[in-house]
Amino acid sequence: MAARSEGRIRMTVLGGYLGSGKTTWLRHQLHRGNFKDALVILNEAADAPVDDTVLGEIQNVVVLAGGCACCQARGELVRRLREICDARSGLNSHEDRIQHIVLETSGLADPGPIVEAIKGDPVLVHHILASEIIVVVDAINALDQLRSETLGRAQIEVADRLVVAKIDAARDTAALMRLLATLARLNPGATISAAARGSAVSLPDYDGAEPEPVAEPSQAATKSPIFATTLVLDSTIDWTVFSVWLSALLHARGDDVLRVKGVARTSAGRLLLQSVRKVVQSPEILPDQNDRLDNVMIVVGRGYRAEDLRRSLQNFAVAGRA
Amino acid sequence: MCANCGYPAAPGHWTDAGASDPGERMRARFRRARLLNTILRPYGLTAHDGGLIPGVQIATLSGRHEIARDLTEVWVAAERFAGAPVDPLDPRFVSAGSEAT
Repeated sequence: MAARSEGRIRMTVLGGYLGSGKTTWLRHQLHRGNFKDALVILNEAADAPVDDTVLGEIQNVVVLAGGCACCQARGELVRRLREICDARSGLNSHEDRIQHIVLETSGLADPGPIVEAIKGDPVLVHHILASEIIVVVDAINALDQLRSETLGRAQIEVADRLVVAKIDAARDTAALMRLLATLARLNPGATISAAARGSAVSLPDYDGAEPEPVAEPSQAATKSPIFATTLVLDSTIDWTVFSVWLSALLHARGDDVLRVKGVARTSAGRLLLQSVRKVVQSPEILPDQNDRLDNVMIVVGRGYRAEDLRRSLQNFAVAGRA
Repeated sequence: MCANCGYPAAPGHWTDAGASDPGERMRARFRRARLLNTILRPYGLTAHDGGLIPGVQIATLSGRHEIARDLTEVWVAAERFAGAPVDPLDPRFVSAGSEAT
């Protein structure tokens, strides 16, 4: 691989569906010293990035927020990559140059068009070699996503390497076997590995398991598009109001609200909250520091209006004062 | 674990994460029960947390009741009693008028 890159920056595209475990996996890889000296670019579809808080302790992180790099923010991605390449070309020969970029896409991104954008750009094609597409697959939710979405399928189909994350939490062994067989059918060329909280674990043997029939593109196309909403938790919305509101929302609309993440300031500290559909992880307490993104929550979903979400939360806050 | 009240409570529902000490936790519980009561009233339901046992008691006006250990169980119980989920995106919660109340 190194010989073929001819002095170009190797680029790893890390993709995967919303909440599949991309950042957790990447954090662990960086902690283990993989992708050493790589520049990490985080792309988030929402205006307010959260993942850089998670990867905070790592120095070389560039955030590309406010649009998905495979569609609206593709121009911005290309511009930023050109800047990085320019800066690199201007260095003296004895200075360390970036050899590797890891691009973590948003959960809504199809890595295919991103790689095409780089290959199709007359400048970048000489500087960057898209060397590998790694797609993280959620061991618990991926089968459901594949049944209802074409995006998950598109991500899996372009991968060079599939990492099945959260394998320790997948209790339904039969479903896991089916998922692995489905992955092998959708993308026979990819290597499949397993991970639990980011660390590599051995992959269960899925010989003989029957793959799941996956959604035809026409079925999913009838659904409304997925979008991100930013909710600001002002002083009237404390943790009690927010947790009551969100738990009700996830109970009633868990199939539409695909992902919630953000940092809430509470008396117990800064809580990093993350949910995937109806499943909410135990909030992680982050080190105490002021961050402009505290008390900002990102809700990714479909089938509702952003202003309804805000108004509903406000009305819950009003009820909380009653 | 007590079979009647579920004490000690199963640790760590995510909604319980926002309080740091026992006093804070108790205040948060009472506040939460008051808020739930306001939210559930239009559905003909009440919420009560006396602070003695873990969980919130959800009751109908006719007296059927159930103790919900955490907020996820609260919404499951409310849906069963009310016949439909309590949806924050229901027009009653998103109309501008209800903000004034």
